[in-house]
Amino acid sequence: MAVVTDQVTLTVDGQSVTVAKGTLILDAAKKLGIEIPIFCSHPKMEPVAVCRMCLVEVEKMPKLQPACAVYVMDGMVVRTRTEQVQRYQNGVLEFLLANHPLDCPICDKGGECPLQDQTYTYGPGASRYDFPKKHFDKAVPLSDKILLDRERCVLCWRCTRFSAEISGERELALIQRGKDTIIGTFNDQPARSEYQGNWTEICPVGALTSRQYRFISRPWDLDRTATICPGCSMGCNVHADARHNRLGRFQARENLAVDDGWLCDFGRYSFPSFQREGIERPRVRRDGRLEEVSYEEAMAAAAQSLRRAGPATAGWASPAATNEELFLFQRLLREVLATPHLDHGRGRGEAATALEPDDAALPIADLERCDHVLLLGGQAVIDAAPVLHLRLFKSERKGVRVHRVDDARAALEAVPAEAQAVGIVSSLGRKPEVDSLQGKLARKVKGSVRRLLVPDGPNGRGATDLGFGPGRGPGYASLDGKAGRARPDWEAAGVRALYLFEASPLHDFQASGEEREWIQRLETVVLQRPRPSPLDDLAHVILPGRAFVEKAGTVTNMEGRVQRIRPAIDAAVVRDDWKILQGVAQALGADWRYRDPDEVFADLSRAVPAYRADRIGERALWSERA
Amino acid sequence: MPQTELLETALEEARAAGYIGRNVLGSGFDVDVLLHRGAGAYICGEETALLTSLEGYRGEPRLKPPFPAVKGLYGKPTVVNNVETLATLPHIVRNGPDWFAAMGTPTGKGTRVWCMSGHVNRPGNYELEMGTPIRELIYEHGGGIWKGRSLKAFQPGGASMMVLLPEHLDVGLDFDAIAKAGSMAGAGAMMVMDETTCIVDVARRLVKFFEHESCGKCTPCREGTYWMANLFDRIEFGEGKPGDPDLLLDMGYNIDGRSFCPLGDASTWFPRSVIKYFRDEFEQHIVEKACPFRGEREAVA
Ligand code: SF4
Ligand code: SF4
Ligand code: FES
Repeated sequence: MAVVTDQVTLTVDGQSVTVAKGTLILDAAKKLGIEIPIFCSHPKMEPVAVCRMCLVEVEKMPKLQPACAVYVMDGMVVRTRTEQVQRYQNGVLEFLLANHPLDCPICDKGGECPLQDQTYTYGPGASRYDFPKKHFDKAVPLSDKILLDRERCVLCWRCTRFSAEISGERELALIQRGKDTIIGTFNDQPARSEYQGNWTEICPVGALTSRQYRFISRPWDLDRTATICPGCSMGCNVHADARHNRLGRFQARENLAVDDGWLCDFGRYSFPSFQREGIERPRVRRDGRLEEVSYEEAMAAAAQSLRRAGPATAGWASPAATNEELFLFQRLLREVLATPHLDHGRGRGEAATALEPDDAALPIADLERCDHVLLLGGQAVIDAAPVLHLRLFKSERKGVRVHRVDDARAALEAVPAEAQAVGIVSSLGRKPEVDSLQGKLARKVKGSVRRLLVPDGPNGRGATDLGFGPGRGPGYASLDGKAGRARPDWEAAGVRALYLFEASPLHDFQASGEEREWIQRLETVVLQRPRPSPLDDLAHVILPGRAFVEKAGTVTNMEGRVQRIRPAIDAAVVRDDWKILQGVAQALGADWRYRDPDEVFADLSRAVPAYRADRIGERALWSERA
Repeated sequence: MPQTELLETALEEARAAGYIGRNVLGSGFDVDVLLHRGAGAYICGEETALLTSLEGYRGEPRLKPPFPAVKGLYGKPTVVNNVETLATLPHIVRNGPDWFAAMGTPTGKGTRVWCMSGHVNRPGNYELEMGTPIRELIYEHGGGIWKGRSLKAFQPGGASMMVLLPEHLDVGLDFDAIAKAGSMAGAGAMMVMDETTCIVDVARRLVKFFEHESCGKCTPCREGTYWMANLFDRIEFGEGKPGDPDLLLDMGYNIDGRSFCPLGDASTWFPRSVIKYFRDEFEQHIVEKACPFRGEREAVA
């Protein structure tokens, strides 16, 4: 009896390959290392087979078949490099180029352009098209972020499909028909999507370009650094591309578990705020005036003042600081200065709610595997981590019911008792509501209920895990009754000295007017920060440090994934923040001898075993999921 | 009365008589017929483009499979039939299949309506038994070539079909026979051309029609029909180059069978067939740097 399997065996260019049913010829060939050229096909979008670049011979089929849209069948015989295929590949490229402006010398895509590459590999050397080219509008503003060159467009439908299938916004469409077909927005309205930068990455030509990157560089002149987006707690993986030590762009660096290959525009286009303009030296206030000094002098001055305040010192760190820095900073505060007053909450309005490990119990990618997801807070949660929307939309397309609700009662009602896997996604600020909702849901539904809370900043999660708050030590260790006070209560707690550690212009201290007045009255304000800050006026010691894109270390995203960041631009003589923190601790008498952030991580890992050096890139292993 | 009004009236009558609507003739079966006006795009004759357009989107063909019978209008199984089929059905139902099958040829049974246009004395729609010789259609029913002229060529099946010549007049109006002669019966639209016709210009106009009707979805059709139209323009207007006919043939190779749907494929059939039969006329255009028929045609007009 024949064995029924889900596997299919076929041959491609004479080589046999076995793949799952439902595989496209394109992917079966890829498995054999056989490349079939494509333009319109995209692994995350439905096949449309419009560019006709990928046509191959399939035995028993009279016409050439699009490898990007035809599924394999048992016994299929595919040929990708026959005379017929190659002659046609010449032909289709000649068609695509017939009315292409060939302005590669001034096109941002030049050097990383699939149309260029495939023309070299598969195309004719010369064109027989000797008519004047069709002309379309160039540099059409689709929004304040994106320009469209309609002459360069090869009408591959990737951008329109992104807009329909990936972001679900349907902002881009094909307009007109035949030779007049163009891409555009409805009635030429400016595009409003928060995901437009992705269009430029999937466009296989230089038709869609980012205004920010226009005419900035050739790809081969860029220094590429694999790092993490500084934008938020999603922790999307990026390539930071710099030229001559200036950031030129962020590009997606696909991590299927986190970003699925996409970025939001807030994160993608945030890089200019990290550009360093000139090098600063440390300063110390003497007789009311800030004077430039060496790092050693500044650190000594900071130490001297902090020693005076001792336990009456409070320390604030940005939720964009690295785990290594946060670990050292909390040691400096707790062990060296013996103060319990630590916080990383921004703004003074509300006390920062402390996270628990369970707030990251639902991994981002698992949203696709829930049957119901409650987005408690709706768009406000998405605004805090925009790429989450793409994951939720993808989940919805797979059949997950996503309920966008603002009210916990409605949320409870939305989920039926038969639900198998329920996810709650919300922002950290709504933790109390989420906790009680989760309890009620756990009693109501059959299946599991997990939650994912979005903390503030690219390392808000790490800051809590490492105990950078008043209530818990590293790894949620109990402080045995020696808990400190949160930022809103520092004045009342009699704090006399403040050590502020900023790490990113996107996630700075943000003092209210009232808070500024209080800070002004303090006897000591040490300010470690990457760039001039509105707090400079109030500082007694300014220690220039590095910004998120200038340093090495790790940060932890909302789901507890510990990821490496790497310096994309060289901040030269500006000292690494971990070194400054160590310097201040040493000046206060501590015997710290870390040589690099990895050594700090090794120590951190002893205090917080969930963080392991051999698991960087993975989610931290808290006991309940070890 | 416009056709849609006729159809609406017919539907109202049918509804009043209880043939359509709820509980058809007391059978407990509900069926209704909705008349939807297209806007005239040729591509919407392609069955999936028709469905896409019915759903309110741009008229563009869809990827097959899934075929409409599996996943059609709004994703539901859908049968797509043309008017010709639907118009034939009542007669078969009324008179029986034997009556229908008794007409025509073994390979093409029954009758078909031929829509004849062009240089005949009596253009119009003629319903003839399958297999009737083309000569009878043109010369008896159509009253022969107008103005006492002689026949140069005809296109038997609609805008995309290959040209046929006077030597093919005795071919029967039947799918197989026309295919054997090198063309296709297609939609049954017969276009007749007299001796003063510039065949290059006919091909030019037809290619321009396809260029205009191409939905623009796929590269070969969108770019190829535009390029072919440019080539035909320059040949017809005296700027053709000696390699142009071969370039057109090569372009046909790169469009036909490579396009997303038959519109692109079919745009190449007529031009390629006229290059086959009338290459000398192309060469005449190119060498003389003018259309040899222009003067004559103006005199006619
Ligand atoms: S703009 Fe780019 S992505 Fe969009 S259809 Fe044109 S070539 Fe494709
Ligand atoms: S979602 Fe957050 S991490 Fe991802 S690109 Fe946007 S700002 Fe950056
Ligand atoms: S990649 Fe297959 S048709 Fe475009």
